[in-house]
Amino acid sequence: MRHAVLLAAALAAPALAHAQAPASVPGRLLASNCFQCHGTDGRGGFDEIAGKSPSEIVNKLKEMRAENKPGEIMNRHAAGYTDAQLKLIGDYLATRK
Amino acid sequence: MKNVMNRRRMLATLGGLSAALLAGAMPARADDGEHDRRPRSSTTGPVPLPVTGIKGKVVIVGGGMAGVTLAKYLRLWGGAGIDVTLVEREGAYTSNILSNLVLNGNVAMSSLSFGYAKVASSYGVKVLQANVDGVDAVARRVHYMRNGLPGELPYDRLVLAPGIDFDFPPGLTTAEAQLAAPHAWKAGAQTLALRDQLKAMPAGGTFLMTIPAKPYRCPPGPYERACVVADWLRRNKPGSKVLVLDANPGITAEVATFTRAFNVTYQGIVTYIPNAAVTTVDIGAHFVYTTFGSTPFHGDVLNVIPPHRAGRIVADAGLANDPVGKFAVVDVLSYESTMIPGIHVIGDAAATTMPKAGHIANQEAKVCADAMIRLMAGLAPDPSPVTNSACYSPITRETASWLTSVFAYDPVARAMAAVPASSGEAHAPSKDHYEDMFIWFDTLMKDAFA
Repeated sequence: MRHAVLLAAALAAPALAHAQAPASVPGRLLASNCFQCHGTDGRGGFDEIAGKSPSEIVNKLKEMRAENKPGEIMNRHAAGYTDAQLKLIGDYLATRK
Repeated sequence: MKNVMNRRRMLATLGGLSAALLAGAMPARADDGEHDRRPRSSTTGPVPLPVTGIKGKVVIVGGGMAGVTLAKYLRLWGGAGIDVTLVEREGAYTSNILSNLVLNGNVAMSSLSFGYAKVASSYGVKVLQANVDGVDAVARRVHYMRNGLPGELPYDRLVLAPGIDFDFPPGLTTAEAQLAAPHAWKAGAQTLALRDQLKAMPAGGTFLMTIPAKPYRCPPGPYERACVVADWLRRNKPGSKVLVLDANPGITAEVATFTRAFNVTYQGIVTYIPNAAVTTVDIGAHFVYTTFGSTPFHGDVLNVIPPHRAGRIVADAGLANDPVGKFAVVDVLSYESTMIPGIHVIGDAAATTMPKAGHIANQEAKVCADAMIRLMAGLAPDPSPVTNSACYSPITRETASWLTSVFAYDPVARAMAAVPASSGEAHAPSKDHYEDMFIWFDTLMKDAFA
């Protein structure tokens, strides 16, 4: 039992190294719309979308949105977001490494 | 009782930790280079949680797509100060998504089973297998039964995510009748019962399925099933028919895809009849009576999907306040009930303008998690949430279609509204979409359960 408590404390330690995190992070909830297909925090699934530069993500989304390809799922999906929302998504995903 | 609870919880938590240690765990989650495409959650061991200083006790009832996603994200975003208990009747979740592919043998039932060990070990969610039988909204306590013994859980905020229950028509009110004419709309034993009946059906027979009026779970799902079954029958039992009796005035999702599938791909096999709501089922005679004329329809196999309502706990808690008294009306900024403060309802049990389906339930859960964290921090929910629906549907044993839509908050209607330009469906079913369907499913399930 005491062992388990010590181990639990050791495992919890990395969290203490983080600074106080805010209740909400700009772009996080918006970007979480990507996670069903691109993995939690953008890691996994169809394409790796985490940790790229914000402009790379935003430009790609705008490019897919602008194409005349209504039979492509991302052409439709990207059309669901305003430019301001795409920027928030790009900025957030860039922080995910 | 309390001791039993605490010991059980402790075992769950320690069990997760020791499993992680045995795996040589701790930071096996390398901060991966770009060649490692594994989601963080695919590694073992606890995921580092943010330190937000936010504290609260949350109880979630129901471990389906909505409930388990919420449990994970409350911890992942809100930190370890948020005590999350997930109460679920079953030991594992059986995915409804892809379950039509059990009928044609493409997918094994076992591959649709998802347990709760990962959300416990990775995020520190406390998982309690018990049957919730009451809510005391004044004392803020959930009452449950576990192994025949009563217990209770206090909460600061309660979330009900019980999914759906059925309103069985006359003739289908006994357990025997429900197995004789399986809905297979909650995957598991019902799916296997329907598969076995399909296999045993005589060649040249009729597979009769009925679709309830909206809102029902997974709008394209029944039409998808008609296609998958028709495809299987034409290969395995030539001359057989699929008769689709739809209570709705027309196909409710992917209209172009399913119209073409019924009229072209499965011409001469599928017969589609709208405005045919089931009134009575005669199991002995294999007859289904509907609102479409007075003559009953005969089927060798009867697959009756009854009308839906929210899981019973919603009505029991006094939250089924939509106009027909079946689902819970919520504020979609937070998914808090409009009836009782402090209780939220997510997923198929909520009355919203969005479809009832696993992918969007996952996103509702994230909106709910973000809102609850803000509320516990004394902040207001995000005033402009966005959700999305996406879904792949098999059309044959080797092709699939898709549909998608993004929903944005409309502050005037105080409801989620589909962004028109974002709504669409695949131009044609394809093998590529079929492959993509499994990537989508795998990633979605990981985003919820791992």
